[in-house]
Amino acid sequence: MAFKPSLRRHHKEVSTELNLNPMLDMMTVLIPLLLANAQFARIGEIELNLPPAASGVAQGAAALPKEEQRTLDLVVSITDQGIYISSALSAPEASPNRKPTITIRAGGDYDYQALSQQLYEIKKKAGNNFADPESIVIQAEPKIRYQILVSAMDAARSIRLGEKTVSLFPNVSLSAGVI
Amino acid sequence: MPEAKLTLTSMLDTFTVLLIFLLQMYSTEGQLISPSKYLTLPKSNVEKPAEVGLDLIVSKNIILVNHAKVVAMDDVFANRPEVVENGIITPLKERLLYFSAQAKKMEVDYGVKFSGKVVIQGDLDLPYAELVKVMRTCGLSEYPNMRLVVYRQSD
Repeated sequence: MAFKPSLRRHHKEVSTELNLNPMLDMMTVLIPLLLANAQFARIGEIELNLPPAASGVAQGAAALPKEEQRTLDLVVSITDQGIYISSALSAPEASPNRKPTITIRAGGDYDYQALSQQLYEIKKKAGNNFADPESIVIQAEPKIRYQILVSAMDAARSIRLGEKTVSLFPNVSLSAGVI
Repeated sequence: MPEAKLTLTSMLDTFTVLLIFLLQMYSTEGQLISPSKYLTLPKSNVEKPAEVGLDLIVSKNIILVNHAKVVAMDDVFANRPEVVENGIITPLKERLLYFSAQAKKMEVDYGVKFSGKVVIQGDLDLPYAELVKVMRTCGLSEYPNMRLVVYRQSD
């Protein structure tokens, strides 16, 4: 009786190829979709926390400063002449013709670096002697553009000293007292 | 005729990398706020990424809440008495109160917490006076948590 060799050994290697068509189809649909929706500009937000107006009376009474707590009351006023800074450390002069702390540049733009620098000096001088070491109020004339306000907020939030960034007054409030 | 064959491997590689990159960008940034095309946002060096909230757009021409027109900016600029009352934009206040009432109903029905958060997208040329009007209106219409949307730019 003749030996019958195993059939398996004589299987021919079948060269198979992956069918990539469905995957390609999916990719060509997905990639344009994602690309069209993608945002390449990074969006951020500036936090402004104000007390709710409805409970303003009750909260106002509770938030009254105690005798011994001195507040810095740092106010930055943006006008078309320049930027005024006033605080408990440097009371504003009474004269109406007072020069701005930082005068506007010739081209009409503001010197935010000088603003940061001035605020840094105030921060150093104030130390821990005040109850509101991180608060600042920014007010502006009605005509001041939004971008200027945002840039002033940036300048008030932190200052870049060499390699590191030092936080200045991150609690920004807006005041509408000028209107 | 000899059989021609396209080599798709390299193209597939590129696609896979692109796909992963795009998907990853989605998951980190989120697709929560898309900047409106009617305005240019101001630039800032703030680090905080944007979050969700009621969408309030103050463009050059109109004010929109949740992408629906509320009032024309010309009326606000001119301080027309039927629109601006005591520094408060009346139509905007009505619309905001409508949304806050809805959100509070949601809070009761589904337990979605109402945070009073409004995300303001303002045009960079917007004068301070108009911004204050908008913000005062928000504050008096149960949306005291205001966020200003900006383009982040690292310097």
